Amino acid sequence: MEERPKALLLKFPGTNCDSETARALEAAGFVAEVLPISRANETVLEAAHLVVFSGGFSYGDYVMAGRLAQLEAERKLGDSLMRFRDNGGYLLGICNGFQILTKLGFLPRGSLINNTSGRFICRWAGLKREVSGNPFLKGLPESFELPVAHAEGRFIAPDGDAQDYLGRGLVALTYTSDINGSSSAIAGLADETGRVLGLMPHPERFLWASNHYDPDWRGDGSEWGWGYMMFKSIHDTIAAEIAGHSP
Amino acid sequence: MTVMSPDQPAENFRRIEIRDLEPEGLGKLSEDMKLSLSIEDMIEIQLYYASEMRREPTDVELECIAQTWSEHCKHRIFGARIEHCGPDGEEVINGLFKTYIKEVTERIMETKPGFVLGCFVDNAGFIKLDDNQAVCLKVETHNHPSAIEPYAGANTGLGGVIRDILGAGKGAKPIASCDIFCFGPPDIDSGDIQADDVIHPLGIMRGVVRGVRDYGNRMGIPTISGAVQFDPSYIYNPLVFCGTAGVIPIDDIDKQMRGGLKIIAVGGRTGRDGLKGATFSSMALDTDSHEADQQAVQIGNPIEEKKAADFVLDARRGGLVVFITDCGAGGFSSAAGEMLSEVGGNLYLDRAPLKEPGMTSWEIFLSESQERMVLAVEESALPELRELAETYETELTDIGESDHSGILKVWHDGELVCELDNSRLHDAPVRQMSSEFVLESGSPGEGLDCADLVGELGALLSDFAVCSREPIIREYDHEVQGNTVLKPLAGASGDAPQDASVVRIDGSDQLMAMGLALLPEWGKSDPRAMGRATVDECMRSLVVAGANPDRIALLDNFCVGNPDNSRELGMLVETCKGIAEAAEAYGAPFVSGKDSFYNYFETEQGAVSIPTTCLISGMGIVEEQSHVTGASIRKPGSLLAVVGCSGPDMGGSVYARIKGVFGGQVPHLEPVAAMNSYRGVHQAISRGLILAAHDISEGGLAVAAAEMGFSLQAGLEIDLDALPAKGSPEVVARLFGEAPSRILIELDEASLSQLEELFNKTDFAVIGSTSSDHSRLRFTERGESVLDAELVALKEQWKNGLKHYY
Repeated sequence: MEERPKALLLKFPGTNCDSETARALEAAGFVAEVLPISRANETVLEAAHLVVFSGGFSYGDYVMAGRLAQLEAERKLGDSLMRFRDNGGYLLGICNGFQILTKLGFLPRGSLINNTSGRFICRWAGLKREVSGNPFLKGLPESFELPVAHAEGRFIAPDGDAQDYLGRGLVALTYTSDINGSSSAIAGLADETGRVLGLMPHPERFLWASNHYDPDWRGDGSEWGWGYMMFKSIHDTIAAEIAGHSP
Repeated sequence: MTVMSPDQPAENFRRIEIRDLEPEGLGKLSEDMKLSLSIEDMIEIQLYYASEMRREPTDVELECIAQTWSEHCKHRIFGARIEHCGPDGEEVINGLFKTYIKEVTERIMETKPGFVLGCFVDNAGFIKLDDNQAVCLKVETHNHPSAIEPYAGANTGLGGVIRDILGAGKGAKPIASCDIFCFGPPDIDSGDIQADDVIHPLGIMRGVVRGVRDYGNRMGIPTISGAVQFDPSYIYNPLVFCGTAGVIPIDDIDKQMRGGLKIIAVGGRTGRDGLKGATFSSMALDTDSHEADQQAVQIGNPIEEKKAADFVLDARRGGLVVFITDCGAGGFSSAAGEMLSEVGGNLYLDRAPLKEPGMTSWEIFLSESQERMVLAVEESALPELRELAETYETELTDIGESDHSGILKVWHDGELVCELDNSRLHDAPVRQMSSEFVLESGSPGEGLDCADLVGELGALLSDFAVCSREPIIREYDHEVQGNTVLKPLAGASGDAPQDASVVRIDGSDQLMAMGLALLPEWGKSDPRAMGRATVDECMRSLVVAGANPDRIALLDNFCVGNPDNSRELGMLVETCKGIAEAAEAYGAPFVSGKDSFYNYFETEQGAVSIPTTCLISGMGIVEEQSHVTGASIRKPGSLLAVVGCSGPDMGGSVYARIKGVFGGQVPHLEPVAAMNSYRGVHQAISRGLILAAHDISEGGLAVAAAEMGFSLQAGLEIDLDALPAKGSPEVVARLFGEAPSRILIELDEASLSQLEELFNKTDFAVIGSTSSDHSRLRFTERGESVLDAELVALKEQWKNGLKHYY
C-alpha cells in the first residue's frame, strides 16, 4: 500500500476553516491532522509533508491580521518551520493563513490590509494563474474561479515591488477584476522555491461542482470543483516525490 | 432603600424586608430594584417567604425570582388567560402558546411519528435529518439592546443564539445562521424623529449589520438567510432577529440532569456587563433607556465563544457531557435554575472567574456576560475536560455540584446567599388579560390604476421592500464551512435572489433548507390573514428550494408593542389563530419560538408601537443534492408556468403602499389547496422536471419574473391572459398582486405533459417562455404588449435600491 502524504493544519484560537480544509485535503488523498497551536512544539512538523494555515480570524485579528498567530507560531515552533521548508516541505496559507505566512516572512514582502471598500466581501472571484509548474496550481486551467471572503485581503508591497514579483514569477494568482485594491491585482503569492503558496481565495469552499453558484456550471465535467484540483495538484506532487524516494 | 456603590460592596448580599410591606410598598420595592414584577407577583413572593420559608428573602433570591418570572424568560403573556372578542365572537383563551402552538404541534406530531425529535423543552427544536443525525433551529430577538447600542446589541444577539445551539441537546454544531431586521426607512429626515437620543435608522442598520457580521464571520458560521423590512413604525423600536441552525447525532439530543455531578463553567468571565438584561427587555423603551440601561447591553467577544464552541463540540464527541446549557438571559441563575432547581445542588459564586473585583452576589449570579456555557459532568471526566480546555485555550472552572436535595443553594464566601426550593415556590401567577379585534372590510383596487407600468415595476424593484440586499449579504461570510449549496445570491450571474438557502451536512446525503417570511404590512389590516400567509410564504420558499413539504418544521417569533393595550393584544391573538390554522393544514409543526413584548417607545407625542410582527422561519429537509433548485432562469427556449391562483385583492401589497393606498382587502389563502400544489411541485422537482422555481411574493408576478430573469440567461415573454385567476383581476393586480401560494417555474417543453398530470388545471398553466431573441421582460394581454422592459435596466434599479444607504 502506498504511503499517503501527510498534511498538518495548525489551528489557532479563532481559526475557523479547519474542518472544511481538512476535508478537502482528505478528499485529495492526504492524511490530514488538525493540531491546535497550544499542543504544537518544535517536533510536530517532522512527520508532515505539507503544513497548512487555514482561514479564519486567528485571535480575532483584532491587531493586524495574522500578527498574533505569527508570534505564537514562532514561540511554539521556533525555527522548525523554516527547517521544514528548507528540507523540502510544502507550506500553504489560505486567507488568514496567507496573512500569517506573510507575517512569518515566508512569502515576498508586503502586507494584507483592509479592502479599498473598507468592507468585508464574500463573493466569487475570477482568477488568473500567472505561473506554470507551481506544484499547487499545475492541475488548474489558466483562468478559473474561487470564492473569496475577507476584510483584509488587499495585498500591498513596497513601491514597485508588486511588478517586480510578477516579473520574477512570484505572483501565483491574480484577480481578473479589481475586487479589493490589491497591487497588480495580486490574489496569491509563491516564494522563490514554489513550495510556499499563500492565497486569499478559498479553494476548500469549491471542493465539489455543486458549490458553484451557477447550477449549470460544469467545469471539467467531473463532480469536482476547481478547489479540489488545487489540493489534488499538491497531493500528486508530494505523492510522486514519496514514490520517487521509495526503494 | 439606597443603592450601594457598585465598586465597594459593604457585603456580598442583603436581606430585604418584605414581610410587613403593604401592596404599594411591594410595588415601590419592585420599581426601585428594577425587578419588573407586578404587585400581584410581589404578593405571591411575600406569601412564599412568610408561609414556606418563614424568613425574609435575600436580594439574590428576589433578583433570581424576578429573572425567572420575567416576561423574557417565562412568556407570561403567551401563558395568560385572555378574554378575547374578535371576528369569531367572544371567547376565553387559556394560553396562546398552549392553544395555538403547542397543541397544534402535538396533533401534527401524532400524524408524523419520528419526525420531531424535540420541541419546546430544550434550547432549540429538533427534527430528524436521517437515521443518525438531527437538525435544530433557534431564532431569538435582541430588540432593545440593538435600539440603544446597535453594534453590540446585534453582535451579542447572534452570539447568544449560537450559544443556544451549542447548548441544545448535549451540544449541537452550529451550521448556518439567519438574520432578520425591521428598521425605520433609511431615508427618513432626522427632524421627523420625535424623541431625543433615538438613533437614526441608518445608524441602526449599519451598526446592526456590522454586529452580526463580526460575530458570525469570526465564529465561522455562514449567515445564509435573512430579510430586511423598512417601515416608519420601526424607527423608535427596531427589531433584530438572529437565528442559528445546528446538527447533532440523534443519540446526543436527550440529556437528563441527576445528582452527584460536577457543575463547570466554560468560556468567558463574569462581569457587570449585561446586568438585568432579561428584565430590561421586558419593559418599554424611552429616552431614559438610552442613558440608564446601557449596563443591560453586553459586550461580545466572538473568539472567546469560538474557543468555547471548539471545546464543547469535542467534549460532546468524546461522550464527556451529561448536561449542558448556555448562560443567556439571567446568566448563572437561569443556567443553574435549569440544571439544579429539580435535583438540587450547590453553586459557589466565589469560584466564578470575574472580569472585575468587588462584584456582589446577585451581580455574579445574574450577570449576562457573554460567551459562557455551563455543563454538568461526571467528576471522573474532569481531567480529560481540563486537558481539552487547555487545548482550546478556554477557561474551565468547577463552580459547584448537583445533589439530591431538590434545593438550589448558592454560596458566596462561605455564606448561603440564596436558597430556593422550587417545589414550594409556585409558578408566577397566571395573568388575566383581555383583548379585542375588529376586522374592517377592505376594498380592492381603488386608486391603483396606472399608465406607466414599466415605471411602476422599476419603482417596485428599487423599493426597500424588494430591492437587492446584496450590500448586506456580501458583508456576511455565507460560504464558510464550505457547505452552502444554494446561496442567498446565485444563478448564472451569481447575484440573483433566491428564496431559501440550502446547506449540505457532513456525514449525510440529505441537506437542510432554511427559509423565512414576515408580512407586517398585511397585519396592519388583517393579522389573521398575515399569520396564515406568513406560514404559507415560509413553506413555499422551502419547497421551491427543494425541501420535501412533508418534512418541514417551523419556528414562530412574535414582536408586539404594548400587550396591555387590548387592541394590540387582539392583533396578536388573531395572528396566532392564523399561523395555527395554516400550520395545521400544512402539517408543519412549530418546534421552537420566542416572543418579545413592550416594543414601543414613549415619545413626547405619545407611545409609538411597532406593528404586530410575526416572523415564521423554517427548516426543511432536502432529500437529495439533485433536488436543490434555484430561482434563476437557466436558458432560452424553456417554458414558464405558474402554480397557484391569482386574484384581485391588493391589500398589504407593496404596490398599494407605494401608491399610498392603505386598508385594502388582503388576498385570501386556501392552505389545503396550497399544500396539494406544494406536494406537486416537490414531486416535479424530485423527478427532475423543474429547471428553476421562484415564489411569487412582494411585488407580485412582475417582480418575481424580473428577479428570475436577473441571471440574464434569456428574455422572458409572459401572456397575462394565460394566468390562472379568480375574480377577474385587473392588469395591475395580475402584475403586482400578492396572492399567496403561487410559484413561477421554468421547465423544458418535454417535461410539460408529466407536470400537467401533477396539478389541478385551475392551479397550473403555462404562461410564457424564455427567449434567446432578446433580453427583455415582456408581458402581453390580448396580444398587446402591456409591459416591456430591458432586464439589464430593471436589474440595475433592483441592485441600487439599498446601495446608496449602506
